[in-house]
Amino acid sequence: MNNEKPIVQMRKVCKRFGNIKALDDIDLEIHPGRIIGLLGANGAGKSTLLRHIIGLYIEDEGECVTFGCKARKLGPKELGRIGYVHQEGELLEWMTVRQLIRYVSTYYPNWNHQLEEKYVADYEISTKARVGSLSPGQRQRLAILLAIGFEPELLILDEPAAALDPVARARFLDLLLQIIQAENRTIIISSHILSDVEKVIDHAVIMKEGRILLDSSFDELRERFSRVRISALGGELPAELPFENVVHCKRSDGQAVLTVQDCPREKLQEQAKSLNCWVEIETLPLEEIYKIVVSS
Amino acid sequence: MNILTVNLKHLYQRRGLWLVYVLLVLFAFIGIAVSFKRPAAGQGRFIGLVVLAFVVGILLAILPIEVLSKPFSYCLPGHRKVVRKFIFSVAVVFNFLGSLLFLWYPGLNSWQLVLVACSAFSAGLIFYWLGVGLAFSIRNSAAWIGLWPFVIFGGGFFGLHIVIERAIVGNPFGVILVGVLSSVLVWLWLGDARLARRYCGVPGIGSLDAWNRDKVQKYRQVRAAKKWDKLKKHPSPWVETFFLGRMNRYDYVSTGRYIWGGLYTAFGIALSQLSQWKEAFSGVFLALVLVCFLGYMGPGRNILFIMPGMMIAQMRLPVYSSMLISGGRNERYRCAMTLVITTAVLVTILATIVATLSQPLAAVMPDITLRGRTFAFHAMNIELFFIPLLMIPIVFTIQLIYYRKPVVMMVLIMLMFMLLFWHEQFGAVINPMYIVSPVVLSWVLFLLVLRYVCMRRCLVGQV
Repeated sequence: MNNEKPIVQMRKVCKRFGNIKALDDIDLEIHPGRIIGLLGANGAGKSTLLRHIIGLYIEDEGECVTFGCKARKLGPKELGRIGYVHQEGELLEWMTVRQLIRYVSTYYPNWNHQLEEKYVADYEISTKARVGSLSPGQRQRLAILLAIGFEPELLILDEPAAALDPVARARFLDLLLQIIQAENRTIIISSHILSDVEKVIDHAVIMKEGRILLDSSFDELRERFSRVRISALGGELPAELPFENVVHCKRSDGQAVLTVQDCPREKLQEQAKSLNCWVEIETLPLEEIYKIVVSS
Repeated sequence: MNILTVNLKHLYQRRGLWLVYVLLVLFAFIGIAVSFKRPAAGQGRFIGLVVLAFVVGILLAILPIEVLSKPFSYCLPGHRKVVRKFIFSVAVVFNFLGSLLFLWYPGLNSWQLVLVACSAFSAGLIFYWLGVGLAFSIRNSAAWIGLWPFVIFGGGFFGLHIVIERAIVGNPFGVILVGVLSSVLVWLWLGDARLARRYCGVPGIGSLDAWNRDKVQKYRQVRAAKKWDKLKKHPSPWVETFFLGRMNRYDYVSTGRYIWGGLYTAFGIALSQLSQWKEAFSGVFLALVLVCFLGYMGPGRNILFIMPGMMIAQMRLPVYSSMLISGGRNERYRCAMTLVITTAVLVTILATIVATLSQPLAAVMPDITLRGRTFAFHAMNIELFFIPLLMIPIVFTIQLIYYRKPVVMMVLIMLMFMLLFWHEQFGAVINPMYIVSPVVLSWVLFLLVLRYVCMRRCLVGQV
């Protein structure tokens, strides 16, 4: 349990857009130093939740507090501590890249020019180009630079890697890992590319239809879900396998693959001993966990 | 359901087209009314619907172009050929209805009436193909429809309507022949497989997309990435230095920093352009041309004070922006307020300067005689200087409320434009109370709406 005061608190937050309930009774606390993966299908309410945190949306019911201030009342003092990469990709098209960087940096007292130069060089951003002429991938790189250039305490990344190619995505993940090394830096990352997200997050929030289905540390989550591969050493597998909480079971030719939920690894190993089989227990990738949580 | 039926459903499924239909019906009604009010042969009174086929041709051709530009439609069976069927279906129906008007043409017997109606049908087809050809030939042809009123008035002034009508009635076989030949050519041209390949996956602004900010922005991004883009303008170094310098005079949490930032993003590019000799000279030259043109427009000259309000509608306030800088809702409010006040003052001053310049010109500009009509130059009425001050806050109020409904926004702004224009045409009573009350009211309304939007509404996405 993290005893530090949360930097974001959402209590019973509801938001409607016409007949659609975009957020439904959301309770969420985000503590400093966490890297949170916000996962969910399109329309699950991820972007809506993120926009509430920075006060771009106003809740219909409940309350959202960021850095101790009601999100709707956030001012330069609090917003100067938040970096945000958004889906829309809105930038000032008519400026050159260098001009846009200079313009945005003027709003932040702690703009890190060394980081900016390094990022520009590493990501091969052409500073003389006009923003409007950048490709989607280049725009996204620029948006990320603008969001991290002032080393925000809270970095919100809404689908940050969607427009990046695999190489740029790998670099971006390296960059995130560097950012994470700074103490008490908090990152909320919403993405569909779960294989990327799981490399960096230490906490997962899974959403569906405006509700939070799961809010757990990533380690706990990986502990909760396991995959058990069983191969019979001679003959057939027993008709009844001695495992509890089996979510999914697939059997074929003396082999079985089980997905097990809420069963500690020690217990699984103990249960496996009773079988005259070769048993392998492995943790599930985030994508599999996500599918199980959402389908249940 | 066959492919043609599916495509024809666009005609009623696209709600944006309903507005176009209202305008087309209005034009058609005027055309019919002109024909029946004083039916006279050889006066060009019957060709309203025939000429209207040109606009219909442009609008109707844009729809299949939009379908063709979707990459999946290229692969769907039968979709490449449906363009031709769609365009021809509408052509036959519309021009058949348009040609019926000629059955009431005075002074002809029954078989002559039928022949003339066939001739009018063919003439309508020719105009229709011209519209279709234009739509397929130039990028974003929908914008050119805006020139239509000028073509109508210009053509009317030079008597083109009479020439066309006389050709339809006096030489029906010739017109029918040209109509048939042009139709055959268009049929072959629209069936060419290269046409589908040319448009597949090519981004463009559709007939009703000019009001869709997201689409326009995406189109601009794609266009800006092309080598042929000539709009690669960005702020001059001195403009950047000036505004960033002003921003840096204020504390990081001070609203002043955000206000100067907002002014930079709003006026930076315009100031940069005006600071270049070529651009500045072009601006002054255009202003002079505008003054001369408006001066000869008679009572309509005072449109000078209304036009800026229309142009300002394209300006975007820094309220609904998803590009996060450290300014909060309060900063957005103050920044937008300052921006609108600055814009209104600048526009009012500029319009007043132009109106003032027109005063001495009135004494020296000669009368112009064209086709027996004399046009005298009149100075603009400076007493109407307050109109931008009245109009600009209302335009921005409409923009704030209908941000996500650009069609409604444009219709309301157009209505206001017409109301002001009509009122001005029939003479405004100028007295201080008449000026001050609506101006103050419009500003109070704007500030209340702005405050409400900035403090209580969602600022991006669904609103």
